[in-house]
Amino acid sequence: MTGPRFAVIPASLLVVAATLSLLEGCGPKISHYVLVENSLRARDTAKADQILEQSEKEYGTKSQVLYRMDRGMTLQLAGRYQDSTAVLEQAEEEVDRLYTRRFRTEAKAFLINDTELTYEGDAYEQVMINVLKAVNYAITGAWNDAAVEARKIDHRLNVLSDRAQENDAYRDDAFARYFTGLVYEVTGDVNNAFIAYRKAYDEYGRARSWSRTPIPPMLRADLLRVTDALHLSQEHEDYRREFADVTWQPVSDQQQLAQVVVIGYNGRAPHKEDLFIDLPISLDALKLVLLTKGAVGPSNQDSRAVESVLYGLNGRVVRVALPRLVPQKTQVAYEQVSLSGARGYFGGRTELGQNLSALAEKSLSDRFASLAVKAVARAAVKYSLAEGAGRGARAAAGKDAGPWVGLLVGALAKTLAAASEEADKRSWRTLPDEVQIARLWVPPGDYELRVRPLGRDGGGVGQESMRTVALQGGETKLFIERVLP
Amino acid sequence: MQDLLRGPAWGQRTAIAILVGTMLLGGCASETKVTRVDTGVVTDLSGRWNDTDSRMVAETMVKEALGSPWLENYTRSKSRQPVVIVGTILNRSHEHINVQTFVTDLSRELTNSQKVTFVAGKGEREEIREERREQAVHALEDTQKAPGKEIGADYMLKGNISTILDESEGVKAVYYQVDLEMIDLENNVKSWFGQKKIKKVIERKRLLF
Repeated sequence: MTGPRFAVIPASLLVVAATLSLLEGCGPKISHYVLVENSLRARDTAKADQILEQSEKEYGTKSQVLYRMDRGMTLQLAGRYQDSTAVLEQAEEEVDRLYTRRFRTEAKAFLINDTELTYEGDAYEQVMINVLKAVNYAITGAWNDAAVEARKIDHRLNVLSDRAQENDAYRDDAFARYFTGLVYEVTGDVNNAFIAYRKAYDEYGRARSWSRTPIPPMLRADLLRVTDALHLSQEHEDYRREFADVTWQPVSDQQQLAQVVVIGYNGRAPHKEDLFIDLPISLDALKLVLLTKGAVGPSNQDSRAVESVLYGLNGRVVRVALPRLVPQKTQVAYEQVSLSGARGYFGGRTELGQNLSALAEKSLSDRFASLAVKAVARAAVKYSLAEGAGRGARAAAGKDAGPWVGLLVGALAKTLAAASEEADKRSWRTLPDEVQIARLWVPPGDYELRVRPLGRDGGGVGQESMRTVALQGGETKLFIERVLP
Repeated sequence: MQDLLRGPAWGQRTAIAILVGTMLLGGCASETKVTRVDTGVVTDLSGRWNDTDSRMVAETMVKEALGSPWLENYTRSKSRQPVVIVGTILNRSHEHINVQTFVTDLSRELTNSQKVTFVAGKGEREEIREERREQAVHALEDTQKAPGKEIGADYMLKGNISTILDESEGVKAVYYQVDLEMIDLENNVKSWFGQKKIKKVIERKRLLF
């Protein structure tokens, strides 16, 4: 009897141990982000893209959408707009496919951790896929294709709004709406531009409690301009009363001019880290948790392994991991934009369109309660499984060896359960902290376009960029500027 | 007795552990399968605008256009076939539709109908004119094609493709509307207006076992 039972013990132990240990740490490593950022800081966008391309394997099969989102951004910054669009298109198609969840994947994630789920991006990241694609098309002058993306954004946001349970949730996107308005207006679809601008205006207002993005002053001028062009006299009068101090140009005055749009990607999007919560379920366990926290402070990479072993040996501590956002605020307040040429000097400044850090915070906060419930339920299941493994091993080992075998198996299973707990820390990290936008109408001609990032104290931050541009009457040219500090 | 009681429980747990392990580690195999099919076979994979839509719409609408009174009226009054050119087909949809394949489908149907004379569009004309300029310099005199002999079009076929989307709970309804119009180049009179609608419903399951 004893022989066969001992033969089963390693098998059961192996199953638990293998499943828990094999599946640990599946999220993409973060080291390459530092290298990408260093390259961007040095204005070597080609190198940044190359680093990202070489890091594809680190993302693994479950984070291909994330890889494509990250890559789509670096390709855009490297000036490879068609490649960027192609990669983002793949990401978009994959996101659509991931609407259908697989029970096996969901169950696996429930038992191990959320990094087992295939990454589909937060709702705002999915919207940004289309925004970036629209930017790619617009930069290359394919405004009609950008308008296709604008229509997709409109549809995506409509679906998002229908799905949202809470009125205060992220259910629309002010900047995405604003940019689609710009695209519609450039393609001559002024009516849709008005709808998009109005939705942007409403959304900036609705989300002001969390978006940390005031209504851009230029949006007021846009609303006055398009309502005038569409002869929407009632709306135009309402806006005139509301924006009495805003100066604006009618469409007829701008028809012979060229428009320059500058989009500033400033700073770095926030990243996520683990927030470990150790839940003691006995007085001894509480003492142990207090002791480890007192000795080594908050959990870090090195202390986590030691804690997992200690908790496993104690057997009465359940570890829960939740994601926590680490903001990386940009030092740039705005960009000063100037055009100088034979036709004169024209200046302006960018205005904040999107605070992506605030969006990421809102997105996480909207999901936090469900993430926490899931994490606690997972910890309870892991604990029960580990308990079961210990008891089973004790029973199988017989009277003599049972107590110590059961103890060993139980401790090991609990150690592995604690060690395998990890929050899903994936996010689109090549996005900026903020997106700023400037629009200038100038007479056609050759110009020197300068973009100078300025800090909150008014001083220069980072390098000023300079490019030569040839503008024709009636055309719109879009430029992007990546500033990292 | 105690061993007997423990036995089934241990067996159950082992079974659960193995089940969980199998579920977590299994099912990684993937396979690529390629099947050659006739180009006429309808292949609705994603629900997006595809080759079948392009071909069907072009066939139907050109047939409709050529069966309308404007053609007979023109042929009778001028005693010749009208000359038609395809202008811009604007994509106003939610998809990046390759409008060029649709234009090609329209061109093919118009040419093969033998009821109208179909001339090259704006983009193609430039290339042909360039060739004539090359010939004027490099080709034998008796094989050179002289400029100024192009046939001017009588009508331009223009149009747009637009969509209306509706989606909820994994069910998406896509409504395509293709509008084409035949415009008399002499007086801007719209001689024919055609419309073709396609409606697709795409359903996606939320959970697969």
